[in-house]
Order: sequence, then structure tokens, then C-alpha cells
Amino acid sequence: MSIEIQSIAKHFGAFTALDNVNLKVETGELLALLGPSGCGKTTLLRIIAGLETPDAGQIHFHGEDTTDRHVRERQVGFVFQHYALFRHMTVFENVAFGLRVRPKHTRPSDKEIKRRVHELLNLVQLDWLADRYPAQLSGGQRQRIALARALAVEPKVLLLDEPFGALDTKVRKELRRWLKRLHEEVNVTSVFVTHDQEEALEVADRVVVMNKGRIEQVGTPEQVYDTPATPFVYQFLGDVNLFHSRVHGSFTQVGEHPIPNDSAVAYVRPHDIEILREPNQQTLVAAVDHVRTIGSTVRLELRLENGDPVEAELSRDAFALNRYTSGERVYIRPRTARVFAEDFTI
Amino acid sequence: MLLATATVQRSAATREPTWLRWLLIGGALAFLGFFLVLPLLSVFAEALRKGWALYWQALVEPDALSALRLTLLVTAVALPLNLVFGVAAAWAIAKFDFKGKSLLITLIDLPFSVSPVVAGLVYVLLFGAQGWFGPWLMAHDIKIIFAIPGIVLATVFITFPFIARELIPLMEAQGTEEEQAAMVLGASGWQMFWRVTLPNIKWGLLYGVILCNARAMGEFGAVSVVSGHIRGLTNTTPLHVEILYNEYNFVAAFACASILALLALLTLAAKTWVEWQAERQRALDARMAMDE
Repeated sequence: MSIEIQSIAKHFGAFTALDNVNLKVETGELLALLGPSGCGKTTLLRIIAGLETPDAGQIHFHGEDTTDRHVRERQVGFVFQHYALFRHMTVFENVAFGLRVRPKHTRPSDKEIKRRVHELLNLVQLDWLADRYPAQLSGGQRQRIALARALAVEPKVLLLDEPFGALDTKVRKELRRWLKRLHEEVNVTSVFVTHDQEEALEVADRVVVMNKGRIEQVGTPEQVYDTPATPFVYQFLGDVNLFHSRVHGSFTQVGEHPIPNDSAVAYVRPHDIEILREPNQQTLVAAVDHVRTIGSTVRLELRLENGDPVEAELSRDAFALNRYTSGERVYIRPRTARVFAEDFTI
Repeated sequence: MLLATATVQRSAATREPTWLRWLLIGGALAFLGFFLVLPLLSVFAEALRKGWALYWQALVEPDALSALRLTLLVTAVALPLNLVFGVAAAWAIAKFDFKGKSLLITLIDLPFSVSPVVAGLVYVLLFGAQGWFGPWLMAHDIKIIFAIPGIVLATVFITFPFIARELIPLMEAQGTEEEQAAMVLGASGWQMFWRVTLPNIKWGLLYGVILCNARAMGEFGAVSVVSGHIRGLTNTTPLHVEILYNEYNFVAAFACASILALLALLTLAAKTWVEWQAERQRALDARMAMDE
């Protein structure tokens, strides 16, 4: 089931949550809506589900206009950020809910419901919790039950709102991998919202980066990370160093498009900064301020002659070959850079 | 558990001196005994002063029985009405945003802030013989004031806030996510209400119903204005007690009062049990909220 989003707009009072958004979600893909809080990603997800009505624009499910269809008829599965499990029902009844509320002629028999619920609980590996109440589960378990409940109605589209937002780092990582595997297994068109770039890049087939109610870029995780379309995407997906051509002339010419313009900015990721001990035409002089080892990488805080800070990242092995020390004078140059016209509004 | 032990082991540095603690506790108990326990005991003592036979006779006397029947009838009508109004109002206020919401909340509190006598007078002014709708009602031979409909109206007005007031904060705290989840899963409005909303508010609702019930049975002021005090016809038990007392028939007056007092004690027991249940559920909810 593909989803087509056409010129969707939504305002809350004077605040523009979504501004003419167009997007196509392909059948069977796992798509991430990524952006800072307030960028409109959750609003877009709720509009797809039918929990929010757009001010303008259309939503098509598989070519069919569903903009005005009631949420209960859209056949979507929705996983809420805080799970929204029915607190007075057991896990079993939570998962069975969607089947039990069906009209009589389409409702499965009790036996069939029982079989389906246990099948789903096995899928999320929590069959042993069937008789517990939500309050007796851990956060990660609740999340998986919420997912099983959403899948019970055999949704054509699965929507997840910050699915791992309320969990601690370790559980998040486990659940991410688990969600990816689950998606491969059930293969339902899925859209999830996240503000965590690592999560989006790791789990999604394609990533939609949003900012201030607009889509900045749509692409595979590699595309959005390696070739960001806008300065915002560059800055949102990981750390970045900025070099202004007025100040650091030679730097703006090493990217793939050397820009003569004197109001350009080069964006360079910390791991794309090369540190040399000998100068050449393309290098800038820098002093090493601090050296920090963080897990498998070593982060160097450098300072240019004019006082601008620069961050560089090396693997431990690379660092072991050169062992820079703080206070040392080095020469830096970008392996690759992306140059954008300078934004004077900042 | 941790909290409990912390309270028990409060250090001497933060504890009040023994004599002060005894003074405070003793003062509170003396006050309670004088103002609450003593009058309650005196009701039963007065009622039984001339023996069980007279007590029983006062209760089964036709006018007393008819007053009790009317009280139960009025409560049986007012309670379901306010159950529906209360839930509807609380639902609207807690789950939707609309213009005039704060005005509605203020209006719901009106019966608490206005004197019951005024509430009764309002109905007399509206439906009485000289009232706005009086001539029309007379022409159609519909009796409201000095009849049972008036008593029911006054009671509904007085007891309106109890259920709504109890539910609004509860429903606001629970939010709308569970309802949304039910809707996405295909539940109709009714299914959502019966299977998700109602089970979540049941203890709060029951608590409101008990308070509403107690007030409906005990209401005096507003009912007194609209009832007309016709013995055996429009006298509720509280009004009957007053009439008997004014006639210096103390045993009968206190006998009927003791029935009201007994109902109050039962209400109190039921209320305590419901509070205890609700507290248990709140603890569970709190645990869920904390884990998230």
C-alpha cells in the first residue's frame, strides 16, 4: 500500500505546522520522518492516520483519496509515543481489542481471536506476559505490546510516533534492530517519526528530513548523510565544521565545486578533516586545544589562527600513528566538503 | 515502603515536644467528639429514649413512610439524570477544547455557590402560579411547583456538580490517547466509551454517585421552597423531620432523623471503600507514568 501526500498544509492558530508538504511513501518501505521538535513531523503522521485534519491538501492510500475518511475506516496501525495501552485490560485483551470491536459479521470467533493474539504475542516474543496488566510491564515490553496491538487489525499502513522516545539508550538500540527485523518479516508500509538522527539512519529505508513545516530532503540514509541538500540537513545529521570563504579562502576551493564567490560556506564533517604535520597550499594552520578519547574514536578540538574552533575526529588506530598532543601546531585540510552560498539571515 | 520508614524514624531534632503533640491531638479529638460524634449519638439516643416500640411506630407511621418513599423516588430520578449530565459535561470539558469552556466550568459550580433557598425560589419564579411559565402550565394542567416534578428539579439542580466535579480532573489527567488508540483500532464511539473511557473512570464516577446520592436524600433548603409541605404527598424525609420537630413530637422527629443518619453512615462506609479502591488504581497509574 503506497501513501501519497499532496500539498498538505496545517496551521495551529498563527503557527504553521505544515507548509505545502508533498511526499510519496512506496509500498512496503520503512520511512523515517526526521527533524527537530516542532518541525511538523508528528502532525504529518497524525494527518496520515486521520487523527488530525489538514487545512489543505490530500492523502491518497494506493491511489484512493482517503482525506475525508474517518480514522476508524482507514485501516492504519498507530503506535503512540507513550504507548496508550488500555490500562484496565490485560496484555491479551489489549491485543485482542481491535478484533473484538469489529462488527459481528466480520468479527473472528473467540477461538480464532485467541489464536491470532497468541501468534502476535509470539511475534513480539512476549507471549508469556499475556495475563499481565500494562502497569506490570517495563517500557520496552509495553512498546512491543503496543506494536502487537497495532498489527492485530492487519493494518495496511503502520505509523509509529517516536516509538523509542521514552526508552533508555540500551533498550532503544535493541528495539531498533528488532523493529527492522520485524518490518522485514511483516513487510507492511511503515512510517515512523523520530528526532534521533542515528535512529533514522540505522532503521529506515529512506529518510525524510523536515524543518519548520517543510521537507528539506528525501533520500536513503547514505544520500542524506553524504550529500545533504541544504545546510540544515548537514547540521542536523551529525556534527559539522563551518568555514567561511571570506575568512578561510583556500578552504572553499577544495570541495567538489570550487566557488570563487567570496560569500560561501564550506561544511566539513569532523571525520573529513585531515590533520597534517607539513603545510601545503590547501591547508590552514591550527593549534590542538584538547584531545579526548570517546569510545572507539578520538576527538580533537583545534583552534585556527583567528580563534575559530574546529573539531576533528580520528579512529583510535589513525590517532595511534600520529599521537597529536595539546598545544601542538598542525595543518588541516578537508578530504571532502560541501559548499553552500552564505546565508546572511543568520 | 522507603517513605514509610523515613517517617517513622524522624529524628528527635525535627519532632515536636511530647506535651505539644498530645495537646494538638487531644484538641483535635475533643473538637471532633463535641461537634460530630456527640450530635450523632444524641440523634440515636433521643430517638430511642422512649423505647424501641415507639421508635418503630414512628417509622412505620403512614406519613413517615410516604416521606421516605418520596425521598427514594426523588433520588432515583435525580441520580440517573445527573449521572448522564455529569459524565457528558466532564467528557466535553476534559476531552475537547472549545470556546466558553471556562464559563461552563463556572456554571457547573453555580449550585455550590448559590444558597439552596435561592435555587428553590428560582424554580418558583419560573414555574410558580405567578411565574414566567405559570399561566401556560396552569392552562395545560401541569403541576411543577408544590408537586413532585418541582422537588426533582430542585434536587437535580443542587446535586448537579458532584459527579461532573469528580470526573473533570480525573479525565483531564488521563488524557485522550487511549480513546485515540481505540478509534484507530476501529472502535465506534459507543465501543470507545463503554470499553475504554468508562472502565478508566469507574471509581471516580462511583465516588461522585455516592456523594450525589447522599446530598439528594438530605437536601432541605431548595426542596422546602418548592415542596409546599403537603403531608403524605410532597414531604420528603428531611421536611418531615422538621414538621415533627415543630410539633414537639421529638421521638418521631429523631426516629426519622436516625434513618437519615444511618444512610449517611452507610454512604460514608461506601465512600471510604471506593476511595480505597481509587487510591489503588491511582497508585498503579502513577507507577505506569513513572516508568514512562
